[in-house]
Amino acid sequence: MSASSSSNACKLLLLGRCLRAVLLSVAIQFLLLTVFLLSVNFQLLHPLSWVTGTLRLVASWYTWFASIPLVASVVLYGVSLCQQHLSERPYCPTRYRWLLHYGPRKLLLLGAHLLVGFLTAWLYTGYLHTDYQHLRYKCYGQECISAYHVYLLGMGITAGCYYFVSVHMRQEVSIEFPIVEQTRGEKLRELLYASLARSLVRSLLPTLSYTLVFWLFGPLICHRLSHILSVDLDERLEGFFGVATNVRLLFYGYLLTVQILSNMHLMRCFYGMVLSEDLPLVVSKQRAAFAHEQEVTMVAGLGVFNVYVVQCLAANYFYKLALRKDSPQRAEIFQLTEPGNRPANWRTLCDQCLSILGSFTEELTESMQKISVLNGAQSLPMPKISESITTSFMAEKLLMRQYNQMHGIRPIVSPRREDAVDRPADGIRHVPNWCERVSKQLEQSLQRLAQRVPGIVYLFEEPEGAKTTFLLANSLPVVYLTQALAQICVASLKEDPYGVVQNDLPAIIKAINKLRNELEKLSSVIGNIKVPSSNFNVLRCAVRRSLYAICNSFCDYLGDILPPGEELRQLQALVCQE
Amino acid sequence: MAALSNLKQCPPFSTLPDLALRHNHIPELERYPQINLNSELLANPAGQRFYGGQSFVPVDESVLKRITRTFFDGGFWESLEEARSPKSREQAPLIAQAGDLIARLLGLATGLKLRIFPHTQELSAERIAQFVETRDWLNSDVRFLAWNCHFFNLAVAGVDDVVRIYYKNSNAATATVLKSPTQTQITCMAWRPLCSTEIVIGCRQGLCFWEVDNSLHLGRTNAPSKVFKHPANLPVTSLQWNKDGTQLATASIGDRSIIIWQPDNGLMQPLKRLGPPGSLLKWSPDNDWLFAATVDRVFRVWNCNQQWTTERWVCGPGGHVQTACWSPCGRFLLFVSSTEPILYRLQFVQQSLLSSSADEKEILPIADLNACSIDANRTLIGGPAQQLAWDPHGNYLVITFKSTNCIAVFRTFIQKFDLQISAAYYLSGETAAEHPSFICFQPLYKDNDRSVLTIAWSSGRIQYYAFD
Repeated sequence: MSASSSSNACKLLLLGRCLRAVLLSVAIQFLLLTVFLLSVNFQLLHPLSWVTGTLRLVASWYTWFASIPLVASVVLYGVSLCQQHLSERPYCPTRYRWLLHYGPRKLLLLGAHLLVGFLTAWLYTGYLHTDYQHLRYKCYGQECISAYHVYLLGMGITAGCYYFVSVHMRQEVSIEFPIVEQTRGEKLRELLYASLARSLVRSLLPTLSYTLVFWLFGPLICHRLSHILSVDLDERLEGFFGVATNVRLLFYGYLLTVQILSNMHLMRCFYGMVLSEDLPLVVSKQRAAFAHEQEVTMVAGLGVFNVYVVQCLAANYFYKLALRKDSPQRAEIFQLTEPGNRPANWRTLCDQCLSILGSFTEELTESMQKISVLNGAQSLPMPKISESITTSFMAEKLLMRQYNQMHGIRPIVSPRREDAVDRPADGIRHVPNWCERVSKQLEQSLQRLAQRVPGIVYLFEEPEGAKTTFLLANSLPVVYLTQALAQICVASLKEDPYGVVQNDLPAIIKAINKLRNELEKLSSVIGNIKVPSSNFNVLRCAVRRSLYAICNSFCDYLGDILPPGEELRQLQALVCQE
Repeated sequence: MAALSNLKQCPPFSTLPDLALRHNHIPELERYPQINLNSELLANPAGQRFYGGQSFVPVDESVLKRITRTFFDGGFWESLEEARSPKSREQAPLIAQAGDLIARLLGLATGLKLRIFPHTQELSAERIAQFVETRDWLNSDVRFLAWNCHFFNLAVAGVDDVVRIYYKNSNAATATVLKSPTQTQITCMAWRPLCSTEIVIGCRQGLCFWEVDNSLHLGRTNAPSKVFKHPANLPVTSLQWNKDGTQLATASIGDRSIIIWQPDNGLMQPLKRLGPPGSLLKWSPDNDWLFAATVDRVFRVWNCNQQWTTERWVCGPGGHVQTACWSPCGRFLLFVSSTEPILYRLQFVQQSLLSSSADEKEILPIADLNACSIDANRTLIGGPAQQLAWDPHGNYLVITFKSTNCIAVFRTFIQKFDLQISAAYYLSGETAAEHPSFICFQPLYKDNDRSVLTIAWSSGRIQYYAFD
């Protein structure tokens, strides 16, 4: 199966899962509506009528018809989330490129958030007291605009916007694998409790902020709306006390925010939950005539570079498979082909893993060269040698400069101009002609001018460490892959009857060690760049543990596996420290 | 069923002056660190610890200023105490009376809350001592011992809230010291597998992660690399790493759920079940099962393969599971109740191909631990057990007791479907009053495949005993 057909097969599978997530999201709307109605219609003295009345209301024809727009917006929301998960994630070096690539998608998602927020508020207000139910109401015999209704609709839009800004605006949606695998029912239960409890606290700040904004600008908006609708103005929510003393309205607003935030959080988690379920991958394809045509191999899954989720799922599958002792799938990796007696399964898997590891390490090394602190530490100018200072003083000065560079400490005095200019080694001073000089000066001044225009640097310059941040944020497949590879190597000691793994041990150890060395270099400057520390920690610890596991198992044979040198010494020190 | 009455006396290995005559003497033991925590505690008592506040001279402040400062220094409760202090009462009686009123109201509210949610009460040290594996945890010099899984590193947690790390041939002067204000009342520790330098310490404040580097030999490390608090701000009373060091399971005697942490990214997932709070966790050697005891009769065994499922068990009349240990092969679990002097076995072996997995497991009593006298002086051994330890080869089982001071050693024969146990001998301390506080076996290293039992005695002395 070619890479594109594997990608399509996996995408099709994931689309089916997204559909399931959409159905779950729709179902949860009715559950949340029930919770809302139970909260607003609470009757302490008549609990039975409270529950039956609420259930009757949820099951009524009005609810079914009125919830159609909300259901449609939830489907739109699901589609945009699905697009976020399954689309390609290229690296955008500048903010301008990011806007070009991700801007439309983010706008669609923002629109979906606003729509879900607005329609939830609209649907829920329909069940409240008549004062809150409609945009217009009769006051003193005249049509007036209801400030309460405007407040609640605005609350819905604000809650949607708040969730988008806090969760989706900067970050890309990511897939999270559960720490502990539980049944789907247990997962749903945990998710529901956790989301509702979390939203109760998270809703306080947006509710209060929105109320403050409504107190300031609410009358203006109501005034505009009354002009548009040609109705009278509602004066019930004018002034600070008008807003602050209306406890019922504030409670409804808070409850609405809780519902909307829980709703959006749940929808996001449903996607994470269904997408993180195991993909039905195989180690090797069946050659029999009745074999399933559509089955995707683990190696093919790892090679789907344009869908990040598929790569993560394949890597996770490999990791789980590597941990499962005595499993037939793990044994399949070490098997030879029949006929031919070739370790085809291991060969393709090992090559794919090493290629992914190698390209990741290369990209990381390349990206790290653009980090000035790290770069500067490597290319430090030698301090000026004069006869009066000793060698130890020189060494101390150099160490101090290295330390300052490593920790991003800038010199108080900027380097003198003549120090910065490289003098030709031959000592001959090449004098440029006036034309060259003028064009160089012109170019420099134009560059300086362009950099002074506000926003130019912000939009069109690559932020420092941006590529490194991108690589680390998308390093989950490498995390699983490294650990799985290490587990397979360790297991090969007992389970590999033909010794198919041992030929590749040096390459595997070298690849992991190279990545470890790069990450160790990066760890000294990680505070200076905007890398999410958890991603870096996870990768660094996984790589260290994997290398340790292999070296610990093959401790006695390290000298035979690797040629003598610095690398061997490093690895022996790793496992033999006392 | 095996019984303690058949135990034979082991030669008093620690008292013989001639090394060659000692029963368990092997040359490697001479290189083990000589530790006596009691003498180290006397030399550096906790009272002599330096705290920044000692160097400053108190100044006269107005009552309100003092209360405000205390609020920002120590929080609400301390400022309330300050408002009700005799000094404030003397200077501003009105403020003190207001403080009394607030304290009374809060006391009423807290009392009401405790009546409704009794499990939310603050856990006292006495209550922690009731459920940890260390005998007389409150007063014992040594509170926990943990051997590194890969190297010769022994971590010893003392009553002074300091963890000392000993290496081969090291002594008190060269030990690495791990000490932090965020690490008090240490209940458990574990070195991280596949990571030579990381140790996690369970204490009242939660979990303290330390990176123990060889370069720290000379001085004290400054702070833990990470500190994780329990979500409900409860002390951690038991912790266990899984075999590849990716997950850490913790339990607290105030919380019903077991928490599984992924320390690298700081994520955790609680495993919630109805029932009493958890007290003890033991992960099977191959990580297929997780044994979780509670503060009541209930205990659970989690199947950690694929989807995590649990089976609920109830132990004998009254009490709780005091201690448990897995066989090195992971097929047998031994445990004892806090009240019954009987050793139970839980078997995880499929005995026949046709039986379903649920029917396989059954609990069998395998040893009677009732107290009996072992010598002419009528020295007793037995009673309710305190701690179990199984040697890494699976040949010896060591048991300490709550009320008697000798250590019982049983021989075990692990077969594919069966486990046989027989009484071997007993070990005793230097004096009749000396009792074992904590025991554990050293893991097998590349250069040493002998089972070495490490015993922390109540006198603060740590002793090593090599088995055949």
